[in-house]
Amino acid sequence: MTGSAEAKVRISDVDVIYPGALGASAVHALDGIDLAVRDGEFVSLIGPSGCGKSTLLRVLSDLAKPTEGSVVVAGDDPRRARLKRKVGFVFQDAALLEWRRILTNVALPLEIEGVPRGKRLARAQELIDLVGLSGFERQYPNQLSGGMRQRAAIARAMSTKPEVLLMDEPFGALDQITRDRLNLELLNLTQKNRMTVLFVTHSIREAVLLSDRVVVMTARPGRISEIIEVDLPRPRTLEVRETAAFAALANRGVHLLEMGSKT
Amino acid sequence: MRSASGAKGQPAPHRGAGTRRMLTWAKEALLPPVAVFILVVGLWEWGTHLFEVPVYVVPPPSRIWESLLFDGTAIFTHAGITFFEAFAGFVIGSALGIILGTAFAYSRFLARGLMPYVIAANTIPVVAIAPIIIIWFGHGIISKIAVTAFLSFFPLALNMMKGLQSYDRTVMDVFHVSAASGWQKFVKMRLPTSLPYVFVGLKLNVTFSVIGAIIAEFVQADRGLGFMIMTAYRTLNMPRLWAAMLVSALIGILFFGIIALIERLAIPWHSSMRSNQKP
Repeated sequence: MTGSAEAKVRISDVDVIYPGALGASAVHALDGIDLAVRDGEFVSLIGPSGCGKSTLLRVLSDLAKPTEGSVVVAGDDPRRARLKRKVGFVFQDAALLEWRRILTNVALPLEIEGVPRGKRLARAQELIDLVGLSGFERQYPNQLSGGMRQRAAIARAMSTKPEVLLMDEPFGALDQITRDRLNLELLNLTQKNRMTVLFVTHSIREAVLLSDRVVVMTARPGRISEIIEVDLPRPRTLEVRETAAFAALANRGVHLLEMGSKT
Repeated sequence: MRSASGAKGQPAPHRGAGTRRMLTWAKEALLPPVAVFILVVGLWEWGTHLFEVPVYVVPPPSRIWESLLFDGTAIFTHAGITFFEAFAGFVIGSALGIILGTAFAYSRFLARGLMPYVIAANTIPVVAIAPIIIIWFGHGIISKIAVTAFLSFFPLALNMMKGLQSYDRTVMDVFHVSAASGWQKFVKMRLPTSLPYVFVGLKLNVTFSVIGAIIAEFVQADRGLGFMIMTAYRTLNMPRLWAAMLVSALIGILFFGIIALIERLAIPWHSSMRSNQKP
């Protein structure tokens, strides 16, 4: 087993098998996944569609159950960790409530937790400022662009101060310019707040830019094929993408992905 | 983290933003139907005189108006009774529909077990079941309310169930990760999501409830618009019949307007409520 005692997330020999519906064969979504994520580490999961990267995040957040193996999130099993609000989740879709203003949308997890109104709105305002949505707190989601909606979703996921932040292709539906900008801001956010992040993406460049480690996965069954250590110095900016070291890491990732997809 | 990316620059909808908006609204929304009304009534009056149309075929608007004035308060007393029956039946039927629709949304067993029978009940023509309901509930106003409630029940049961099931799966995941209780999911997510569907059902019920009340009065009544229509028909008092018909339509319009206003206040966020802001 890899990983030391202070691992924030420990995934041990996890299998997820979805039973096939009506004659279809069972899907082996994850096969023997072993991974330990250190406190404050940013880890990206990358791989072809169907490699189970989203499934892995769903297992960590108790949205799916592992068929085999064990998972520890911030010292608890996923269910306990979820009930203790140790996990934040940002989905590809912002999934905001259309009938609520941005402020109360961001405060939603705190409202569910039972935090008094004044306190939770103050916290929501803090987060809105943090993600650069100041001045938009009174707007409704449909008045905001895709990038701004995703900022609100990030703020919402951070509202309960989760120990582990899970992000499932949060910028996948955005245009390149918005994506670059949000990458930079996420970089700053995680570097300042020292969050433990598991980040699913299709973009190897995005993964290398943001991560301490990039986990490359293969599909059917979903397995970890290799882990790339990203030793680029921090704090990073977008300019790091122009360095030779970055290019070498990105190329290695592309190469690994291609090898994986040939099998 | 200061600047926010690409705002659409769309202003927030202001409530009660002055008289200028009221004037544009009057010009754009009110003027066309009023103009059409004046034109149609004018042509109607002129046409019936020009072609000497017999009054029992199509009475001219002036004769209908006379009939309205002649009856004085009588017609509005009848209308008031019918409106009350329609409204009470609407409230009771809709409330029962909401309760059963919620039960269907939460219990697959109930939905599968009861739905075929509810659909079957809904296919019964109201004119066939009205006499039975009147036998059960007597000759008073209660039986009219019961017929109306029977008609109002189905649209809401179905729309409530659909509405409660139409939530976004990712939003449900957000609630799950936030450790929300079943009650919190219901109140903070599924119920608000269902509101647009509920209003579709309520608007259908407005029409159904007026129909239900009048049909029940056709079968047996000594007051109400349905009673008035039947007696005018038997005595071939056609202007009075037309007057009753128009008043019944007026009730429906008034009723519909109330529901549409409540909808506007209840779900301003829904896309169907923004259709007039952007083409």
